[in-house]
Amino acid sequence: MSRFIIPKHLEVPLGACLPAPVKEQPGMITGNWRTERPVIDHEACTTCLNCFIYCPDACWHLDEKTEQMVWNADYCKGCMICVNECPANCLSTVNELEFPDGVVRLEKPF
Amino acid sequence: MAKEVFYSGCAAAAYGAKDARVEVISSYPIRPYTGIMMELSKLVANGELDAEFVLGEGEHAQVSIAYGASAAGARAYTGSSGVGVVYAMECYSPAAGGRLPCQMAIADRALDPPGDFGSEHTDVMSARDQGWIMGWAESPQEVYDNTIMYYRIGEDHRVQLPQFCCQDGYFVSHIPGKMQMEDQKAVDDFLPPYNPPHPLNPKKPINHGPQIFPDQGSAINVQRAVAFDDIEAVISEVVTDYNKAFGRKYSPFVDEYMMDDADIAFFIQGGHARTARYAVNHLRKKGVKAGVSRLRFMRPFPTEAVAASLSKVKAVGVIETNTSYGGVTRGGNIAPEARAACYNLDNRPIITSFMAGLGGEIVTLNEFYAMAKVLSDAVKSGKANNSYWMNFEKEVLDTHK
Repeated sequence: MSRFIIPKHLEVPLGACLPAPVKEQPGMITGNWRTERPVIDHEACTTCLNCFIYCPDACWHLDEKTEQMVWNADYCKGCMICVNECPANCLSTVNELEFPDGVVRLEKPF
Repeated sequence: MAKEVFYSGCAAAAYGAKDARVEVISSYPIRPYTGIMMELSKLVANGELDAEFVLGEGEHAQVSIAYGASAAGARAYTGSSGVGVVYAMECYSPAAGGRLPCQMAIADRALDPPGDFGSEHTDVMSARDQGWIMGWAESPQEVYDNTIMYYRIGEDHRVQLPQFCCQDGYFVSHIPGKMQMEDQKAVDDFLPPYNPPHPLNPKKPINHGPQIFPDQGSAINVQRAVAFDDIEAVISEVVTDYNKAFGRKYSPFVDEYMMDDADIAFFIQGGHARTARYAVNHLRKKGVKAGVSRLRFMRPFPTEAVAASLSKVKAVGVIETNTSYGGVTRGGNIAPEARAACYNLDNRPIITSFMAGLGGEIVTLNEFYAMAKVLSDAVKSGKANNSYWMNFEKEVLDTHK
């Protein structure tokens, strides 16, 4: 018999292992941390999925209908790991100032 | 078929991992544990072991790889020594808190300074409070046996914890000894494949190590505490089964030598226990009733077994082989735990820290004789200092003249 009583509201699954939400969390937008963003040249892209594998924030995915990689602006922190890892050199680093919706222009960054 | 071989502790660990059928191995070189990975890489390259052999870019990465592999449901194996062990420090609590039973082989090495290559237990003892199972082997045979037993203890669903499977660098890791390697089929029967509670399943994605709120933090700590409440029963079960399956004679927690009629005892973990027993044989011939009580698990610390063993004698010398500067005895970490374990005894023995085997030095027979002298004097006078730094302590050197 265990000597512990764990109150219902403090119960945590084994190892705090929880079902993944499998959706975006609008309360935790991290895309506004960015100062530069990756821009894709779809002509040069071979859809090798390296960017999908290496992105620490799951911001690249393959749209199976268009067979093109899709970038998620809401959560990309601009680490540019994808640019570094792209073997086709189809990704380039562009400063956020170049874009009308660039995050540095946001009036309320957080 | 079981076969008799002549292996170093490093080779014994590698073959233990092979017979445990590890599935993912993460490696980064540092002496002396690196001999384990040299053996394993050969076994993988020769096709004798079907495992993923991943090179980490450092020890932090190594343990992270083992963490990830274990989370995916694999039996994961890694290891390190000395400064490598402490470089990975951040990863230990997540692996234990996440309840991921990967195994890390440790062949001890002294920390800097002076960066010598000798064995000292301080490296992994620094991580003793992170929720990992931890214990020392004294021979290649025990390294092999512990490697297999630890997986079964750690993977038991009542436990679900990672394990530090430790051996002294060089004294055990690099000195070959005669040992028995068991039949693969018999090991498979003893150690079934890992049955992970959350196997990797793309159709049912899960979060490992999610961020939770501060008021839920203590509930995660309690989970590990529950596991450590249940673990001693599991260890006893596993060690008994192992003894039965392979004809060994391990006691689960404390290995005793000539303790039943002893007045003084050496309390020790790891390879130096063999010198201690040799010293006891000589001391007995001179009429000194000495014994050896060898600790097989540092975590969980076997409170009752230690109290039962040490209650048999009047004075206990703890051979520390680790440091705790400014700690309660101004010596090492084991004596305070041994003292606490004996606190409720009616007749507590005198317990003192002997600082020996530091920086990789050999604990010589003469040192054991000097310790026996200190302990015998303590029995007569009824008191002893909190700690003695052997080879440097004025009082010890004077009596030893």
